[in-house]
Amino acid sequence: MENPVVMGHKNIILISSMLLLFTFTSAFGDQGIAIRAGHILTISDNPIENGIILIKGGKIEALGQNVVLPEDVRLIDANDKFVIPGLIDAQSRLFVMDSELDESRTIAPELNILDAIDPFIKEYREVLAQGVTAVCVAPGSHGLIGGRSAVLKLNGSKNIDRMVLKADATVKAAVGMSTGNTSSSLARLEHYSSIREALIATKVYMQTKEKADREMAEYNRKKAEYEKKDSGKETEKKEKPKRPARFRSSPASDVLAQVLRKEIPLQVEAHRVTDILNVLRLADEFGFTLILDKCTEGYLIADEIARRKASVIVGPVSTSFVDMPRLEYRNHDMSNASILSKNGIKTALGVSGRDGASSKFITLAAAMAAANGMDKDAALRAITLTPAEMFGVADRIGSLQVGKDADLVILNGHPLDTQTRVEMVLIEGKVVFERKSQQ
Amino acid sequence: MKKIVLLSILILLSIPCCMVKAADAPENLAIRAGRIWTVTDGIITDGVIIIKNGKIQAVRKKPDVPAEIEVLDFSDKDVMPGLIDAHCHIGLSLDIYSEIDETVLAVTPDMQIIDAFNPLADDVKKVLRSGVTTVLLAPGNKNPIGGQTAVVKLFGKKTKDRVLKRAAGVKFSLRDEALMPDRRPTSRAGLLALIREELNNVKAYKEDKPDLRMEVLKSVVDANFPVYISTYTVDEITSAVALVDEYNLNAVLIGAEQGDEIADLIAGRNIPVIYSPLLLFSRDKDLKRVVNMADGGIKVAFSSSAPETSLSDLRTSAITAVKYGLDKEVALKSLTINAAQILGVSKRVGSIQRGKDADLVILNGDPLQPTSTVEMVIINGDIVYQRQKI
Repeated sequence: MENPVVMGHKNIILISSMLLLFTFTSAFGDQGIAIRAGHILTISDNPIENGIILIKGGKIEALGQNVVLPEDVRLIDANDKFVIPGLIDAQSRLFVMDSELDESRTIAPELNILDAIDPFIKEYREVLAQGVTAVCVAPGSHGLIGGRSAVLKLNGSKNIDRMVLKADATVKAAVGMSTGNTSSSLARLEHYSSIREALIATKVYMQTKEKADREMAEYNRKKAEYEKKDSGKETEKKEKPKRPARFRSSPASDVLAQVLRKEIPLQVEAHRVTDILNVLRLADEFGFTLILDKCTEGYLIADEIARRKASVIVGPVSTSFVDMPRLEYRNHDMSNASILSKNGIKTALGVSGRDGASSKFITLAAAMAAANGMDKDAALRAITLTPAEMFGVADRIGSLQVGKDADLVILNGHPLDTQTRVEMVLIEGKVVFERKSQQ
Repeated sequence: MKKIVLLSILILLSIPCCMVKAADAPENLAIRAGRIWTVTDGIITDGVIIIKNGKIQAVRKKPDVPAEIEVLDFSDKDVMPGLIDAHCHIGLSLDIYSEIDETVLAVTPDMQIIDAFNPLADDVKKVLRSGVTTVLLAPGNKNPIGGQTAVVKLFGKKTKDRVLKRAAGVKFSLRDEALMPDRRPTSRAGLLALIREELNNVKAYKEDKPDLRMEVLKSVVDANFPVYISTYTVDEITSAVALVDEYNLNAVLIGAEQGDEIADLIAGRNIPVIYSPLLLFSRDKDLKRVVNMADGGIKVAFSSSAPETSLSDLRTSAITAVKYGLDKEVALKSLTINAAQILGVSKRVGSIQRGKDADLVILNGDPLQPTSTVEMVIINGDIVYQRQKI
């Protein structure tokens, strides 16, 4: 028999037991969390019905239907709920002031978005509350090569170093952007040739540097030999080797050299068919890893993109997300993502909103892509694992797999449903958001 | 020469024949649907809508259709009434910002926005895919007392099919945009003083000396001709409510972004609100305002305020409001019947009911799910948009 008094005070007891658990957790630090969930959408593998996710040390330790619960674990009951990996907005403006994003019309790959991050921007809490745990922020959508992007976690840290999941995720460029509603074909031609010139110059730079390195090594060898002989017989004294001219390294060229060595992908914003084709031609010529950004008219030349094995970040899915539609969006079509992904192109989705707070609509973007023909699972992958793969962070985030960071979201329904609410968000095993009952 | 004359006579004769034929053509059509969202009469599953001469002749569950009627089969789709955008500025000009306001004069109630409307403009044709079938056209916000609004459909073979109301009301603007450095009013207080002055002048107006502007304002003060008052902040809304009380105006608020702060004041007077588009970068607090207003008993309609946002964003506004807590049924009504009632055109549009215009939207799912998209749009029984599979 249950005590009626206990029944009446169930809530209080629940709260106090939760408090106890919480104290316990903090007191013992790494005691472990387990989530018992109705539907686990792993993204990388098949969904798991009625499974358990075991978290230890901020990582997913075990996952499946037959996970044995350790005794001293904090159990989160999500029996009738969905669990998904933390969402990623691949085209975010979070933590960055608008005016700090654009050094227009310059080739400035040495700029780093991390130098413009403001961790105190409050909007991040609203974004987090919608299940977004990581964002990629990139500089410059107005001119040429804007700088290096970064993947940040929304873990609430005010220490930028702790927010960064990956620095130098991509080098961001933009071609064919109009100013206002006017567009000059000549200006667009110039964008293309300026970037090409910069890449050719980088090739020369790399060769010069290689030569200089070789000469320096040769000099060092000769010098060592000379000094050795110097200490030996004086009669065989040779001429002292001449030090080669010092090589002047350039931070900008060093970054572009990394692009040409395929160490950092080049993320190029291009909207119109001609601009996209120009970028594909650059990729053919220089062989870098290409991520097409925005790619508004990509659906018209999906075969060309697929042939080059370029990946694409589509956004905005709907012009609802942007300001007064610019000229670039003239042939915007909501089916873009669907068509690209059906052509076998690796397609991520971004919000590409006007403001940092827009990132909270990432599931709306995915739902709209699904409405226009994209498979629902593909749409979910496009806001989780696909961007993680593009940015080279799939070993840490993007799916629910053993060994990955425990960044996950608990929802009371399917993530693409309007009426679904986020119940809880965890980053590296820590509860960073929990919905109040009346919210 | 003779041949030419004969040919012209033939051509002349054939024109009226063709026209008569087109008008007389039987316009019967039946739409079979998985779900019919009637709005005023719940959801009918596996039903049929019979359209005759552009009107809804029958809505019923039994899908038996006379053999002679053409049937469009949407058994796995959803049908809802055409959406109503309760405030926008489309089809008005090429450079929209320069032509929707009369900036030399402050008071222009005799101006009618319908005179600037081009039903064949590109921006009108382009938005047929949004599912919006009826809109309120309005002048901008730069005149304290602006021109007259109109209610039109986005398609219609004849003017009477297209224009629901040539003059739906007068637009007032209490917003900052109505203040100008080089003409009255230049201040907020001056703006209200000017409006009061104009409305007071009505009392002294003598009809033997006709004045178009005064005629219109007289119908506002004496004959319940609606006023659409554009506001944003709490103080602007409060001023609007004061005007309503003083002159017993038949008013509708446009915008009223901060209306939730004084929802009781608005709801207490049964003033409906045509809410501004929900912008997808707003803070949570602002996205919840429209929800709070509806919960506070205010009748709400949505708007795109195009070109500020696109008509395609109208449904997104409703979906976003639902995401932030608006009741789904209220959201659906706000897109349709509530808007029709606010604009005074609910006898013709706003729900799927016998006798109403056959303005229908077919979607591949629940209208308030973002995963649904518009497949077909019908206005007055004519298919005006059909989604192409690319």
